[in-house]
Amino acid sequence: MESTQVVIIGGGATGAGILWDLSLRGISATLLEQGDIANGATGRCHGLLHSGGRYVVKDGGTARECLAENRIVKAIAPHCVDDAGGLFVQCAHDDPAFFEQWWRAAAEAGIPSRRLSAEQARGLEPNLAPDILGAFTCPDAHVDVFRLVLANLGAAQARGAKFYAYAKVNAIRTANGRVRSVVYRNTRTGEEGEIACEMAINAAGGWAESVAAMAGVEVPVRCEKGTLLVLNDRPSSRVINRCRKAGDGDILVPAGPVSILGTTSMRVSGPDGLRASSEEVDGLLRLGNELIPGLASARILRVFSGVRALYSPEARGAEAGREISRGFALFDHETRDGVGGFVSIVGGKLTTYRLMAAEVCDRVAKKLGIESECATAKVSLRPGVDRKSHRRAIQMLPRPVAERMERRLGLEVARVLDAIEARPALAELVCECELVTRAELEYVLGQSTPLPAQTIADVGRRTRLGFGPCQGTFCGYRAMLAGFQMHRWSASQAAAELSSFLDERWKGQGFIHQGNQVEQLDLSQELYGADPPACVTSGAQDG
Amino acid sequence: MDSSRYDVVVIGAGLSGLIAASAVASENLRVALIATGPGSFVLGSGCLETQEIVRLGGSPDLNEAIEFFCERSRLAGNPFEGDIASSRPLPAILGDFKSVALAPRLLWNAEPRADLSAVVVGIRGLSDFDENFMAERLRERTRAMGLACRYAARQISLASDCGAPATTLRIAKRFDCDPEFRSELIDALRRAASGFERILVPSMLGLLSSEPEILQFEREVGCSLGELPTLPPSIPGLRLFHHLWSCLQKTGVEMFQGFPVQKLEIHDGLCTGVHVASPGHPLILRGESVVLATGRHAATLLDRSCPGLDTQMRPLDAGGSAVARNLFAAGSLLNNGAGSRGGATEILTGYRAAKLAAAGRGSYAAR
Repeated sequence: MESTQVVIIGGGATGAGILWDLSLRGISATLLEQGDIANGATGRCHGLLHSGGRYVVKDGGTARECLAENRIVKAIAPHCVDDAGGLFVQCAHDDPAFFEQWWRAAAEAGIPSRRLSAEQARGLEPNLAPDILGAFTCPDAHVDVFRLVLANLGAAQARGAKFYAYAKVNAIRTANGRVRSVVYRNTRTGEEGEIACEMAINAAGGWAESVAAMAGVEVPVRCEKGTLLVLNDRPSSRVINRCRKAGDGDILVPAGPVSILGTTSMRVSGPDGLRASSEEVDGLLRLGNELIPGLASARILRVFSGVRALYSPEARGAEAGREISRGFALFDHETRDGVGGFVSIVGGKLTTYRLMAAEVCDRVAKKLGIESECATAKVSLRPGVDRKSHRRAIQMLPRPVAERMERRLGLEVARVLDAIEARPALAELVCECELVTRAELEYVLGQSTPLPAQTIADVGRRTRLGFGPCQGTFCGYRAMLAGFQMHRWSASQAAAELSSFLDERWKGQGFIHQGNQVEQLDLSQELYGADPPACVTSGAQDG
Repeated sequence: MDSSRYDVVVIGAGLSGLIAASAVASENLRVALIATGPGSFVLGSGCLETQEIVRLGGSPDLNEAIEFFCERSRLAGNPFEGDIASSRPLPAILGDFKSVALAPRLLWNAEPRADLSAVVVGIRGLSDFDENFMAERLRERTRAMGLACRYAARQISLASDCGAPATTLRIAKRFDCDPEFRSELIDALRRAASGFERILVPSMLGLLSSEPEILQFEREVGCSLGELPTLPPSIPGLRLFHHLWSCLQKTGVEMFQGFPVQKLEIHDGLCTGVHVASPGHPLILRGESVVLATGRHAATLLDRSCPGLDTQMRPLDAGGSAVARNLFAAGSLLNNGAGSRGGATEILTGYRAAKLAAAGRGSYAAR
C-alpha cells in the first residue's frame, strides 16, 4: 500500500495551499481530488482577491486578514494576479451614512484608499452610472483561481508532494480511534487505491460534511449557492464594488478578456446539482445595470453557480447567509470527537486560503510532533520566466500570444518553445480567444507536464481554452482532435470527451435568451447535434 | 406607380430570405433584396434534416415549399436529391450519423451502405480535419448499424499554398479559381483512391462549382466523391448560397449587398420604408410589403425582442398587436431561442412569408 504522512481531501485553493505548506515544512503529503483542480467553490467564484473593503464595516478583523493576505498573494503569485485595483462606488440611492462608515472603517483597518469625487471616479471608469456620488479606491485585484491552484500544486509537486485528480474518496479507515488510511476510486478509470497515512485533512469545502461522515464525525457546514454571470466585455478596468451593505449583484470583476458579475446568495442543501434560476440572472443584470448602465445588454457568455461552504455552528435560523461569518473553523476531531489523526477545515474565503492552510498545517505539524514554521508567506510559488526564454518567445510568437503563454506556463514555457522550434506548425492558434497555441495544447495534454489534463475541460482550466465567446465550439473540437492524435483517446473516447465538455458549456448558456451568444449556442448545438439543454448550471468559473 | 417602389422588399439573404425573394419573384413581382452577407449559410450543414421536417410535419404547405426549394436549387445548378419522407444517414462532424431527407449528391455520396469500401482523405496542413479520426468513427458507427463498411484513411500533400494552417475556405477558393490546383488535387486524389470505390473528403470542392462541374471532376479523378462536414464556414452552405444568389440576380431581383439595414420606418401600423446604411445619399427602399428575414438581428430592427408572430406571420409588439400590417417575418427570428436545424424551417417560413407578402399587396392602404 502506498503511504504518506498526510492525506488531504479536496483540491480547491485550501487543499492546494495545504499541500504546498506541508511540502515546505518537509512533511510528505498526497492530495486527493474527486474532479480536476478547483472543482468546487474555488472554481466557481468571482476570482476576487479582496482588499478587505467588502467586510470592513461589519467585521474589521476579517478585513485586516484579507488585506494582509491580499498583499501576500500579490507577492508570492504575481502571475496569477491582475492587480487592477478596485472602487467602492457610492450609488445615488444608497445610504450616505454607510459611505462615511466605510471610509472611517477602512482607515482604521489600514486599507489604503482615496476618496474620489463622482467626476474623478468617472474619469477612471467612464462607464459608471452618471448619477454616482463618488467612490473610494482600494487594492482589490483579480486572481486567476485555476492558475493559483495549479501554482500551489506545481510548487508542492516539485518538492515531492503528490496530487491525484479524479480520485474520489469513498472511505476513511480507522483503527483504535485513529485514521489509518484513505480509500479512493479513480472516477475515470474505475481503479481503486488506498493510501496509509498518519493524518487526514478534510478540506472538501461543500463536501466536507460527507467526507467527515466517512470517519464517523459530524461537521456543521451550511451551503449557500451563488450565481454569477460571465460577460464578454470589460466595461470597467477595475473591480467595481457597490458601497453599501453586502448584497446581491454588487461586484463586477474584470477577469482577463471578460468580466464576472455576481453574486446571489441562497441556501441550498448541498454542493451538487446546482440550478441557476432565470430570476437570479435577471436580478443580477438589473443590479449590475444600476452600477454600469448598459451592462444588461452586454453579451453573456455563460452563467454558473457555485456553493459557498460556510461554517455554521448552530445557525439554522432564517437569517440571511451573508450574516454568517465568512471566517473559518478548524476542527480537531481527536479532541472534539475522539477520532485521532483527522482534522477538518471549513468556511473561509479564497483570499485567505493561505492563512487557512497555515493554521491547518501548524496544527497538523504539532500533532505529528514536528517542529516547523509556516513559510508560505515568503516563498514565491513560481519563479518568473527567464530572460532568455522570454526573448525566444517574443521572437517566435506574436507578443500577446507569447506573454499570455508566459503567464500561464512560467519556466515551462521553454518546453513549448522547443516544440515549436522542432515543428513550426505547432505555433498555430487553436483558441483564438485566449491565444492558445497548438504547442501549448499538446503540452498540457501530454504526459511530460507535472499536472496533465485528462479532459477537455481540464485543458480549459490550464489554458483558458473554451472560456471565450465560442465556448469551445471550435477550440473544443481542436482539443479533441489533439487528444486523439496524441493517442490520449480513441476516436470514440475523443467524441465522448467533446460531448461531455460541450454539454457543460451548453448548460452554462441555457439561460441566455438573446443576442450573439444565442446564435453561438445554436451553432454549437446544430454542429454537434444536441437538444436544447436543461436549465442546470454547473461547471467551473470562466473568468 | 412610383418607379422606386417595390412590390416586396426582403431583408436578409439567409436561406429564408433567398427563398422568400425567389418565391415573390416567381410571381413576376418587383423585388428588392438587402443583405450584409450569406447569413446562416455560413454555418448550416447544407442538407435538410429529417428531424426538422418531422417537427414541421403538420404544416399543410410544407410539401409545396420544399418542392419550390428543390426546383430553385435545381435551376440554380445545385440540385438536392432525396425526398421529404425519407430518412437516410449522413455523417456529422463527430463521425456519428444524423438522419437526412434532402441533400446535394456530393453529400449523399458519404452515405454508408453495406460493403462500401471508402477512403477518407485528409489534406496535410488542414488541421481542423482528421482523416484517421473520421475513418475510425465511421467504422465504429457503421459497425454498430450492422453495415459491413470499410473505411481507410489517407493523407495527401499539396504543393499549392492553402494557408498555414490550411482552411477549407482557402482550398475551396483555390478549387474555384486555379486550374493548376485542381489538376494537382485530381492527381493526388486519384492516387489515394486506388483500391477504393469512394473517396470521402472534407467539404472543400469549391464555392462556385455546379453539379456538372463536380461530375466532370469526379470523372477526372476516376472515383466517386463524397463530402464530409467540417467546422464552419460550411462550404456546402456557401455553395448553395452562391447558386441561389446568382440565380436570383438572373431573374431580375434587385440585390443590395453589403449594407446593413439601419431601421424600419413605421407609420400608422404600416412599414413605409427600409433605411439602408449606405454611404452618400441615404438609401430608402419602399415596398408594398416587407419580409424580415434577418434572424435574431431582427431584435434591433424591431426595437424590442419580439414576443411572437400572429397567424399572418407578422411580428407582434409587447402589447400583442402586429408591429406593422405589411411586415412579415421569416426564418430563425421565429424560433425564440430554440435554434433551427438544417434549414427546412427557413424554407417553409420564407416561402410562407413571401406568399403572404405577395397576396397582401395593394390591400394595406384601404384598411
